Amino acid sequence: MAKNKQNKNSLGALRKQEKKLGYVFASPWLLGLGIFGAFPILASLYLSFTRYRMVGTPAWIGLANYRALFFNDSIFWTSLYNTLYHVFLSVPLGLIVGILLALLLNTRIRGIGIYRTLFYLPNVVSIVAMSLLWLWLFQPNFGLINQVLSPVYNLLDMEPLGWYRASNLSKLTIVLMGLWTAGGSMIIYLAQMQDIPRDYYEAAEIDGANGFQQTIKITLPLMTPSIFFNFIMGIILGFQVFAVAYIMTQGGPGRSTYYYGYYLFDKMINDNNMGQASAMAWVLLVVTLIITLLALTLNKYVFYLGEQD
Amino acid sequence: MNQIEKEHRDPKLTLSQRRRIKSAIIHIVLLALSFVFLFPFVWMLSTALKTPAELLRGIEVLLPEDPQWRNFYTAVTTVPFLMYLKNSLILVFFAVMGTLFSATLSAYAFAKLRWPGRDTLFVVMLATMMIPAQVILIPSYILYAQIGWLGTRLPLIVPYFFGGGAAFYIFLLRQFFKGIPRELTESAIVDGAGHFKIFFYIMLPLTKPALLTVSLLVFMFVWNDYFGPLIYLSNPDHWTLALGLRGFQTQFTGRYDLMMAAAILVMAPTIVLFFIAQKHFIEGITFTGIKG
Repeated sequence: MAKNKQNKNSLGALRKQEKKLGYVFASPWLLGLGIFGAFPILASLYLSFTRYRMVGTPAWIGLANYRALFFNDSIFWTSLYNTLYHVFLSVPLGLIVGILLALLLNTRIRGIGIYRTLFYLPNVVSIVAMSLLWLWLFQPNFGLINQVLSPVYNLLDMEPLGWYRASNLSKLTIVLMGLWTAGGSMIIYLAQMQDIPRDYYEAAEIDGANGFQQTIKITLPLMTPSIFFNFIMGIILGFQVFAVAYIMTQGGPGRSTYYYGYYLFDKMINDNNMGQASAMAWVLLVVTLIITLLALTLNKYVFYLGEQD
Repeated sequence: MNQIEKEHRDPKLTLSQRRRIKSAIIHIVLLALSFVFLFPFVWMLSTALKTPAELLRGIEVLLPEDPQWRNFYTAVTTVPFLMYLKNSLILVFFAVMGTLFSATLSAYAFAKLRWPGRDTLFVVMLATMMIPAQVILIPSYILYAQIGWLGTRLPLIVPYFFGGGAAFYIFLLRQFFKGIPRELTESAIVDGAGHFKIFFYIMLPLTKPALLTVSLLVFMFVWNDYFGPLIYLSNPDHWTLALGLRGFQTQFTGRYDLMMAAAILVMAPTIVLFFIAQKHFIEGITFTGIKG
């Protein structure tokens, strides 16, 4: 800025040109923002108040779609419950595993780069390959996991767990599988940890703080921005969970993994019920927004505490 | 970390002993964890080489007696694997081209040009990352149906040329462009170069590593994407590897040997690419959380 003011005279003409060029350079994205962003968002809001099944024109029916979902559709509530279950389990567990991995790797020992690469590796596997792999690992009869656990089953004299084939475990199975990709958030934490000035730790050391205290009082508070980021993204992506269930369980057994995104997909692709699908999408948007805003206040509080110490 | 200060608390151990014990413990924990994280891959390969009879014997057979390398051949020949590969590559190619085109231009606008509304639009761009895909999906689907794009690849190609899904890449490139010293662009302006010249002859060459990072991330995303192709590629001749692999699963229920062989082939390119260019990957991914 200051530089530009100095050169005001020589660059004055160019700055006028910049105003136009800014739009020119941004035009592909700006067009996209309109056509593939703003228009669909507003259109889906409009559609959510209409009846539209891909033929004819959308017919305005007011709040009927929302009313039908909220008061007349038990599957809607089942899918919402399944999704909330998934989010409330997967987000905290994902955070914990990611942070623990990062803390372990945030030490100055040899081969850290290799471990980092290895822990990250599951993240480059496609969702389909990953789902098939874990379908096999969790396979109740011949799968690796139940075979490894069989001494435990014998010891406790219990039946082997059914994992994705048991309606009370299927959601948990999908969450556990998701932890395999915790290395993705680990990378982000790790980078932030390595940005923390070393003097902080040295000062704490002189004051007699041990490693654990340093982690609680210095590392974790200063990581809150990336924790917050992973928290928010975890919630947003968690609410959209679909493909894993589609591939692994087809929503079953007994609708136990029939998530919100799955129901929306069925309404849209199988029923062509675009009005209700849009209403579901908007409910999702509003729920996501509310939770994000709630999380925002939480983050400020945590970070504030960190700075006070 | 700071071993010298720590040492006085436990006089029985010397500095190097303490350090060795600590790093040994950490190594043991990390090795155990690596085993847990990597064993699924080992098991995958082991499974892919088994006979159906060995599948049922599970963990007894870690190394198949007679490795069935044929399984890979069977997996590739019973489905049109090469066609899926070609289709995946087509989508990847256009997505990378489209993203590079739209993201570099707008990143330049955000980083180096001053225009009214820029900062507001920048916030809007970041906000688009938060919007659930489903909100956009339905009207887009209807729009594509209206203009006859359903059943073609166009819904999975054209948006990339208009910054579709590129918010993060624009953000990343903007930071890189901002890192190019002003003096460089200003002296070019004094020499009579316009912004397009600066963009092509200064910015792009100087930010090659960032462009590579973006290309790799887009490659990874499109190669692995399941949802987009599932919605839009109704024509089996357009199916990608991800869709083909899923089709494979429904076709060969229970034949985990063949399924794992096919899955390995589908994920091999991403793993190889990751190992070759991991520095770029990790830089790019790291960027999301810290600077975001």
